[in-house]
Amino acid sequence: MKILKDKVAKLSFVALLITVTAAMFYVPTASAHGEKSQAAFMRMRTIHWFDLNWSKEEVPVNDTMTISGKFYVFQGWPETVDKPEVSFLNVGIPGPVFIRVGSWVGGQLVPRSISLELGETYEFKVLLKARRPGDWHVHAMMNVQGGGPIIGPGKWVTITGSMASFVNPITTLTGETLDLETYNLGNTYFWHGLWYSIGLLWLVYWARKPMFVPRSIAVEAGKADSLISATDKKVAMGFAAGTIAIIAFSMASTNEKFPITTPLQAGLLRGMKTIEMPAKTVSVKIEDATYRVPGRAMQMTMTITNNGDSGVRLGEFNTAGVRFLDPEVSVDESGYPDDLLAEEGLTVSDNSPIAPGQSRTVQVTASDAAWEVYRLADLIYDPDSRFAGLLFFYDEAGNRQMVTVDAPLIPSFI
Amino acid sequence: MSASQSAVRSRAEAVKASRTFDWLILFTVFFVVLGGYHIHYMLTGGDWDFWTDWKDRRLWVTVAPIVSITFPAAVQACLWYRYRLPFGAVVCVLGLLLGEWVNRYLNFWGWTYFPVNFCFPSNLMPGAIVLDAILMLTGSVTVTAVVGGLAWGLLFYPGNWPIIAPLHVPVEYNGMMMTLADLQGYHYVRTGTPEYIRMVEKGTLRTFGKDVAPVSAFFSGFVSIIIYFLWHFFGKWFAQTTFISSESL
Ligand SMILES: [Cu+2]
Repeated sequence: MKILKDKVAKLSFVALLITVTAAMFYVPTASAHGEKSQAAFMRMRTIHWFDLNWSKEEVPVNDTMTISGKFYVFQGWPETVDKPEVSFLNVGIPGPVFIRVGSWVGGQLVPRSISLELGETYEFKVLLKARRPGDWHVHAMMNVQGGGPIIGPGKWVTITGSMASFVNPITTLTGETLDLETYNLGNTYFWHGLWYSIGLLWLVYWARKPMFVPRSIAVEAGKADSLISATDKKVAMGFAAGTIAIIAFSMASTNEKFPITTPLQAGLLRGMKTIEMPAKTVSVKIEDATYRVPGRAMQMTMTITNNGDSGVRLGEFNTAGVRFLDPEVSVDESGYPDDLLAEEGLTVSDNSPIAPGQSRTVQVTASDAAWEVYRLADLIYDPDSRFAGLLFFYDEAGNRQMVTVDAPLIPSFI
Repeated sequence: MSASQSAVRSRAEAVKASRTFDWLILFTVFFVVLGGYHIHYMLTGGDWDFWTDWKDRRLWVTVAPIVSITFPAAVQACLWYRYRLPFGAVVCVLGLLLGEWVNRYLNFWGWTYFPVNFCFPSNLMPGAIVLDAILMLTGSVTVTAVVGGLAWGLLFYPGNWPIIAPLHVPVEYNGMMMTLADLQGYHYVRTGTPEYIRMVEKGTLRTFGKDVAPVSAFFSGFVSIIIYFLWHFFGKWFAQTTFISSESL
């Protein structure tokens, strides 16, 4: 008997562990570090993030910082990804280490999903309030329905202090100020505790008496009806009536305490304000483009035509958030993440100003380890081996002009 | 010990053994149901149960009762027909809520730091108690399915209202009106749960205007009746002993 008992106990304990762990190990996706594993064409041909700025590198708990910048919704959006008709401006952080106090596209608050148009450029800003200490990679991010998350560039930000001091004060329309971090917590525990206890009481009522073996024997012997006594019936009626009474009472008292409530708010926001980009006076034609695998470099032959009234020079090539600069023309002063910045990564065969009305064919090389580190070189294994990016030209007065490129890419393995 | 010899030698020992089995079986049932029901509920109810900004007056009210009446119906069938024990629904909900609370507290809060006031589970206990009481008092599957199933759907929203009402207080936020629950969803960043996958306040019950929750609850109750029947028979089939002949026992 003892051995049998031990065995059953042991087996049921194993079963318990397996089922409980299986069910309980669900954790909502917290990590945001899929940036490198996302298909290169997704990063190069969907949302182009530029002019990004992380306002701080170190933030104490309860202080705020912003990520701001612009994004261009690529005209040549890939066929295989759903168009960004329903999108959500997000931030890629490992769970709520910051809270998102505000986010804006074209100056409009975007707590809900928005509709974006191909070929347009938008300005955005996300205001974050530090909550949990640690070093976190903070990304700009756009979720696109049917396309998944499109992760923009990320920068390491340190939060200092203690999470215990984090507060999130909110004032409601009924004039009450509360801390959303802990609001309603006691009330939640109270009602769950109360109902759980009532359920437990019902179970205990039945578990006090012999349960399975004798009752099973009685049922098999056809004496099932004798197993429910008159007292049992009274108790059941008491539980049922008590349940209804508590529900009625708690509904009434809740409605009295919270007379003003509104439904959850939802709905798509359309017609986001775009940035009026200056009329393009520079045009670029890609003659050919190759990626040299051993050299970690992309080489483009392009014909640049200047139709403006001031000489222009190519200063930057930006693709998937990696910025290749020609230091003669363009220098980063925004504190852009090092791993995404090739300060001297752009070489132009002849980068003297292209005079107005002039056209010139040049060799442009963008080389940096980032091609490998950010797995952009994997582009050559993508089903549609095209690359895309932004070229930034500067005229003599320092005015900037953005030109997009989109062309096939041929790998070279030698 | 030969097979013909009994493992117990006196009545006192038999009672003790029977009691030991009671606890072992109850313990096992509790945790097996916990595991199965928990997985089932997470897969079918999922986000509607996880986040306060999904707990709306239409879909949450409709979906949660329909997908959660399943295990209670099946376990009731087994415990009632074989043992005349009327706590099938309550034992299921006790297991589910324990599992949910452990998950929300240890994983959602302890591991990912979502505040508990944003990711607590829904309360299913009132419906479970009424379902068990009706089965015991009437002894009838049909009545339990019809009256109990309807009650399961109807009691869900009022049973949760005292917990979620405080989160439906409106806030003016940078020129937009939101509820506190919406604000929780906005503040506590979920990278894998963008706003557009949130299914709230969608549906065709627009003509009912403000009183949409009771209508959704009734609809949910009606579907729960059907699901109750279905799962009750699953439970009954599952609890049969025709695989073992009584001679071999
Ligand atoms: Cu990252």
